[in-house]
Amino acid sequence: MSLHKLRLAAAVPLTISTFSSRLFLKPFPNTLTLGLFSRRLQQHKPLLVRAFSASATVQDIPATQTTVSSARPQWKASIDFKWIRDNKEAVEINIKNRNSNANLDVVLELYENMVNLQKEVERLREERNNVAKKMKGKLEPSERERLVEEGKSLKESLVSMEEDLVKLKDELQHVAQSIPNMTHPDVPVGGEDSSAIRKEVGCPREFHFQIKDHLQLGKDLDLIDFDSAAEVSGSKFFYLKNEAVLLEMALLNWTLSQVMKKGYTPLTTPEIVRSSIVEKCGFQPRGDNTQVYSIDGTDQCLIGTAEIPLGGIHMDSILLESALPLKYIAFSHCFRTEAGAAGAATKGLYRVHQFSKAEMFVICRPEDSEFFHHELIQIEEDLFTSLGLHFKTLDMATADLGAPAYRKFDIEAWMPGFGRFGEISSASNCTDYQSRRLGIRYRPSEPLQTGPKKGKANLPATKFVHTLNATACAVPRMMVCLLENNQQEDGSVVIPEPLRPFMGGIELIKPKLK
Amino acid sequence: MKGKLESSERERLVEEGKNLKESLVTLEEDLVKLKDELQHVAQSIPNMTHPDVPVGGEDSSAIRKEVGCPREFNFPIKDHLQLGKDLDLIDFDSAAEVSGSKFFYLKNEAVLLEMALLNWTLSQVMKKGYTPLTTPEIVRSSIVEKCGFQPRGDNTQVYSIDGTDQCLIGTAEIPLGGIHMDSILLESALPLKYIAFSHCFRTEAGAAGAATKGLYRVHQFSKAEMFVICRPEDSEFFHHELIQIEEDLFTSLGLHFKTLDMATADLGAPAYRKFDIEAWMPGFGRFGEISSASNCTDYQSRRLGIRYRPSEPLQTGPKKGKANLPATKFVHTLNATACAVPRMMVCLLENYQQEDGSVVIPEPLRPFMGGIELIKPKLK
Repeated sequence: MSLHKLRLAAAVPLTISTFSSRLFLKPFPNTLTLGLFSRRLQQHKPLLVRAFSASATVQDIPATQTTVSSARPQWKASIDFKWIRDNKEAVEINIKNRNSNANLDVVLELYENMVNLQKEVERLREERNNVAKKMKGKLEPSERERLVEEGKSLKESLVSMEEDLVKLKDELQHVAQSIPNMTHPDVPVGGEDSSAIRKEVGCPREFHFQIKDHLQLGKDLDLIDFDSAAEVSGSKFFYLKNEAVLLEMALLNWTLSQVMKKGYTPLTTPEIVRSSIVEKCGFQPRGDNTQVYSIDGTDQCLIGTAEIPLGGIHMDSILLESALPLKYIAFSHCFRTEAGAAGAATKGLYRVHQFSKAEMFVICRPEDSEFFHHELIQIEEDLFTSLGLHFKTLDMATADLGAPAYRKFDIEAWMPGFGRFGEISSASNCTDYQSRRLGIRYRPSEPLQTGPKKGKANLPATKFVHTLNATACAVPRMMVCLLENNQQEDGSVVIPEPLRPFMGGIELIKPKLK
Repeated sequence: MKGKLESSERERLVEEGKNLKESLVTLEEDLVKLKDELQHVAQSIPNMTHPDVPVGGEDSSAIRKEVGCPREFNFPIKDHLQLGKDLDLIDFDSAAEVSGSKFFYLKNEAVLLEMALLNWTLSQVMKKGYTPLTTPEIVRSSIVEKCGFQPRGDNTQVYSIDGTDQCLIGTAEIPLGGIHMDSILLESALPLKYIAFSHCFRTEAGAAGAATKGLYRVHQFSKAEMFVICRPEDSEFFHHELIQIEEDLFTSLGLHFKTLDMATADLGAPAYRKFDIEAWMPGFGRFGEISSASNCTDYQSRRLGIRYRPSEPLQTGPKKGKANLPATKFVHTLNATACAVPRMMVCLLENYQQEDGSVVIPEPLRPFMGGIELIKPKLK
């Protein structure tokens, strides 16, 4: 079992934290003035850190409250604290609009303290160096002894301060990681009902006969088996049979070929990944109600989307600007616990634990991400239009954006069996949220100029890339749409024309003779 | 005690009844425990063995058939890992960071090749009357055990899901066996013939040494698996049908291979008889297993509870009650690999490489890959 207990549930205020009581030192006469930090612990309130004067004593802190609540994060996000501090009003408004639990006040306070403590540490180091320098000269023995004492004290202070600095940095990371991405100015503010319709294609088909939902069609046409799967695996698992298998393969084959034409590189990915990768992409593998399946006895999980292993390909790398954009279309199986998802929106293929999906992923320069967001949604709209679906493209409102998304377009398609629209795809621009966690940078190409020989110092500084992801084809939901929309009175289902060549030419799924 | 009795007689009988009841309760408890223990030890008795199976270890396996011969190369050849790098087809390095060793990404034409292999295999096997299926890849661990695997032993091949009694499948054989468990099928429904496509997950714990390089031994791979449920008298026939299908598939792809009748020490516990196909892998300089076809007779069906009711013989007679129905029997089950993608990829890349670094696509796969005939080195 994994040892780390890092909980990335959106920054719950810390109620207990600890800092070594060794931090509190007796004030030095004259030579040193230490800004001492005392941490008074208060029940039920977020951790507050205040600087005390040099005369503060240790006795405030009861010894029992010295347990570390958050284990050391296994990885660090390159969060731009200065920018957050300088734009704190905008960040706060953004957090509110998104209904995020992130606590900006705590972050800013910790950041201030971290900066101050950092300065202190540097100052102490300098003092220590000065003392060491002095000791090299000729000295009276009493003077030397005094300096040795001073040196020792400084060293002790330094050691505990550096420890505290590390802990402070870890804590800062921990709370800051849950600050959501900023939001595109055009995104509607509010909840589900505030999402804006960008586009609507087609209209609901009018049926002149009693229609069936996809579950009934699946039974009658011997295409889907949930019952056996419930015995073998549990609820929300299924077998596809007969033409449904060919339909899944046709959907994936066709989608792949269409998207490749737009310059996307095809990939298949691992479906088992280290849990740290899942976290870096902005998901929470070990929270309550996590969507993520974990593997027993390892730090590995099953992926819920190919976005995760795709983000991981270039982690901790510096790409050349000339290599961008990188555009991938990846096909994988996806696994989701769907813990906490109850109610009507779970019927049949609409919500399942395992499904096939083709996912698009783009890595680009910051100035290009808006362009690629529009390219991705255009690709999706073209695909679904070709299949004859009736759908709406939504600009999702702030409360419906995941933490990583700067902007998110969802496509909802008409599902006559449900009598409502259902989400079939999602396209997110994550700007630098994921890349700061995954460590994906690029080095801008040098401007065209001649000059004397350049050393490393003349290389342009690296920047964080922007990442985007978009669903090209989520098979079960596509199957709901195709089965329900294309059913005929005689119980058969028409295969959309673009898919027929990928299914051996089959035009119709007919009821089987019994 | 129902009759008329003297009170002393009644009392004596009541005592006797009580004693008998106490003895019975303990005896019945002991019986349950004994039955459980019997089950536990008996479950590990392996299946019986076909009389023609050679007795002995690996070296005793008999060659049933050999097709083709090793291709002669007039240039220094590369193994599939090198080809995978040079042609930008396989990425093990990124996967090692993201997931760990023995994981990989397929890129570019390799993705199309995987899809072509599966599409083509599916269409070929469907022509022989097999029903296509996709299966769950997470199953209850009891199903894994009933198929004859050991999910929780040391060095288990099986990944378990944290906090549940579920595991990842190592082969579609498992969810296929589970479809009809605890069922009584009609004889007229047999045989049931399935071709299922799934991803497979294996820990490969305990597998070390040279036979682990590159795509040869990986934790996750795509596979098309055939599964047959039939009457006992038909299993031998279907074992031959399955191996014939495999041999035809691999011959069509132009592979050089041997079909082996595996010796007794190499049969898994469920298999009555097992034919393995080993194909020539020039990059390794040896043969490597690409498929396995097992006749499990009633080993799995006795554990999965899959029975059938023989059709009634044609006879007229007075009204029949339930007592006149023929007794149910256990079916026989068979399973066979139609296509294990990574190993097929090793064979195709290594055997079809050309001096200029390109790889020829076998003809049957080309229509399933948009007509691509060649995987060419990419310009840099």
